[in-house]
Amino acid sequence: MMNATETRVPVTVLTGFLGSGKTTLLNRILTENHGKKIAVIENEFGEVGIDNDLVIGAEEEIFEMNNGCICCTVRGDLIRILGHLMKRRDKFDYIIIETTGMADPGPVAQTFYVDDEMQQKLKLDAIVTVVDAKHIWEHIDDAHNASDEAQEQVAFADVILLNKTDLVSPDDLDRLEARIKSMNSLAKIYRTRDAVVEMDKILNVGGFNLDRALEVDPKFMEPEYPFEWSGLYHLPAGRYEWVMGEGPDPVMGMALLPLPNTGMAAREAALMDAVLTFAEAEQPVQPGEPLPVGKGQHNQLVLNERGETIFQIVIEQPGDYLLFTEHHPDEFDAHLCSADAVLEPLATREYKPDHEHDEEVTSVGITIPGDLNLEKLNGWLSQLLRVHGQDIFRMKGVLSVRGWEERFVFQGVHMLFDGRPDRPWGVELRHNKMIFIGRNLDRSALEGGFRACLAS
Amino acid sequence: MSRVMMQRKDKPKPPSAALKTLWRANIDDHIIQLAWSPDGKMLAAAGVSGPIMLFNGVDGVVRHTLPGHTLDTMAISWHRDSGTLASVGQDGKVRLWDTETGAQTAELPGGGSWVERVAFNPTSDELVSAAGRKLRLWNTGGDLIREYPDANSTITDIKWRHDGQQFAISAYNGVVQYDPIQPEPLRRFQWQGSTLTLEWSPDGRYIATGDQDSTVHFWITETGQDLQMWGYETKVLELAWSCNSRYLATGGGTQVVIWDCSGKGPAGTKPIMLEGHQHLIKHLKFQRNGMLLASGGNDGMVGIWRVERKKSALLTSATFKDPIAGITWSPDDRCVAVTDEIGTVAVALL
Repeated sequence: MMNATETRVPVTVLTGFLGSGKTTLLNRILTENHGKKIAVIENEFGEVGIDNDLVIGAEEEIFEMNNGCICCTVRGDLIRILGHLMKRRDKFDYIIIETTGMADPGPVAQTFYVDDEMQQKLKLDAIVTVVDAKHIWEHIDDAHNASDEAQEQVAFADVILLNKTDLVSPDDLDRLEARIKSMNSLAKIYRTRDAVVEMDKILNVGGFNLDRALEVDPKFMEPEYPFEWSGLYHLPAGRYEWVMGEGPDPVMGMALLPLPNTGMAAREAALMDAVLTFAEAEQPVQPGEPLPVGKGQHNQLVLNERGETIFQIVIEQPGDYLLFTEHHPDEFDAHLCSADAVLEPLATREYKPDHEHDEEVTSVGITIPGDLNLEKLNGWLSQLLRVHGQDIFRMKGVLSVRGWEERFVFQGVHMLFDGRPDRPWGVELRHNKMIFIGRNLDRSALEGGFRACLAS
Repeated sequence: MSRVMMQRKDKPKPPSAALKTLWRANIDDHIIQLAWSPDGKMLAAAGVSGPIMLFNGVDGVVRHTLPGHTLDTMAISWHRDSGTLASVGQDGKVRLWDTETGAQTAELPGGGSWVERVAFNPTSDELVSAAGRKLRLWNTGGDLIREYPDANSTITDIKWRHDGQQFAISAYNGVVQYDPIQPEPLRRFQWQGSTLTLEWSPDGRYIATGDQDSTVHFWITETGQDLQMWGYETKVLELAWSCNSRYLATGGGTQVVIWDCSGKGPAGTKPIMLEGHQHLIKHLKFQRNGMLLASGGNDGMVGIWRVERKKSALLTSATFKDPIAGITWSPDDRCVAVTDEIGTVAVALL
């Protein structure tokens, strides 16, 4: 996939909060025997030669370009230092830029798009973010301490190291990885201890591996659901009770759908039915009232202010049922009871919720078959970026454009983007994949806009 | 009608000038700056890796190789009497050299780890250096005369007005004008963008700047008015004034764009465009007293142009294998010195 005539020097940007292990990783890179001649630009001291390598100190200077447009901020210090580095006779094979803990990676990445000299001679290979697996939560989710910088460092990354894995339990790590993925589905995530990682995982990764990102994690393309949980029950005809304790909300959405059998196909069909059901207007159900069952019945359970609330369920057709709840039943200590016992579901499943982190950083991935009309695409993208450029941190895409034999690959940072044809499609099925990472992303609007760019 | 006839008659004549190489040398280094001594006897070539070569202007014999700066040399400037050369570099120092003996006469702290700019006053013994945001004024003896309040951001250029009475610096946010005898700036010309280089018009009326955001500005020093020129392909690092202060030649693309400041210009006028380079133009220099312009580009071409409102033309050109890294006219305007990115230094007689 790498262009054979590529002569640009690759650049890796290393980000991460203070104490994440970023400096440990940098030292590892410098001492590892990788046969590369590396120049490092960092914020701490002046110029120092380490064997073959060179460390240059930089003072972060963020410049707004285009008369104040915030999306076009760049790092003036980097333009100067990198420009000078390119003149040296002892050419470097590789450049690493270490940012300060609180640095916004946006201007660093944008620097490689706005300056011709940079674009001609250097290539942003990847943004690598080191995350302190124990303390990152407070920076991304704690309402009081959450920082835009930490979120953006995760959002901008091509590679994320979940470091200090020895300090957290495997369960917490799984939870963290899932959370990080919800913010940035594109990044490759590695779990590390003392920042130990193979060099080829972080250097020369050739950032543009959209295909790989999608193939490794197909789940990421999974839609978000309007419910968080489902349970499979086998219910003979009779009377049941759905019992709920107090919970975080005074109401909860719920649907109970019959299953023809317990096979995968039937369950998937019921899942689609549930999505449609939850799209229907909610029907309030008061405490003690019977709960309507079936497709299209989107119930809104109204809870008592205090204590337990019981809803009646009458099953006329014995068989298998899937019960979908807006929130996880554990949050309400909720359970289904027969006349004499609490029923355990035969199987459960959790879903990625879509309503939780509106203000937060998320990824939206869209795949559609067919060919795009380049003109429509340009029109849509320029409009989209003009309005939402500040919230869209990164975009990547592999597109099938009508009339082009090659795949059109592009990536962007805020309002700037760089696209070019790469290899021919050949026998591969032509299709379009696009990923957005940013704040307040509206999946359906993005998908609708993208779809409207198809050539008719 | 008659106009068309006129133009036909006046179509560009074949080149009437030719370049004759006087001497050529090869240094295995990227020359960051070429500078003739004011008396024309020596050509200094500062290599990015440190050493500074002093060549005999007429035959290219190396008179001295100054060690320069242990880490990269960034800039050099001649004293008006040709006896002293100042250099600055990434060792944080300003160094003064006796160009007769090759000995270092002073080593001064620039105030930061990278000293990027240095400029001798063309009419006195004063020297200004810039390291990051630090701006210092020295005399030839190496005494610190003054340290100015820090600039807003890293200083990208320093230029003296041709009469030596004032100087100006460029940085992010525009230009700041100083009188060397006052610690406070005379005037700020503000622009929300990164100003990369500046040139005073010889008559002192304008300060022209080239900017990262692909603009050129003409600041009218008297009033502070800003004339902005848009539409460049890329950032503008190449500016050259003609000796009569009429024309400003600018790069920022593959064409030389020349603004005419006569009459009501340059605002609202159409510039003269010179075509001939295949890639970005990287260097532009007008003769000191004549109207010929030398250009050098990433295509390795050096062009010598006659600049006139109606009939500018490429008089002659030469092509190097690598991109041009520097061009400078000898003080008598008869020779042009050129270097390319692999360290070829050539002096040609026009």
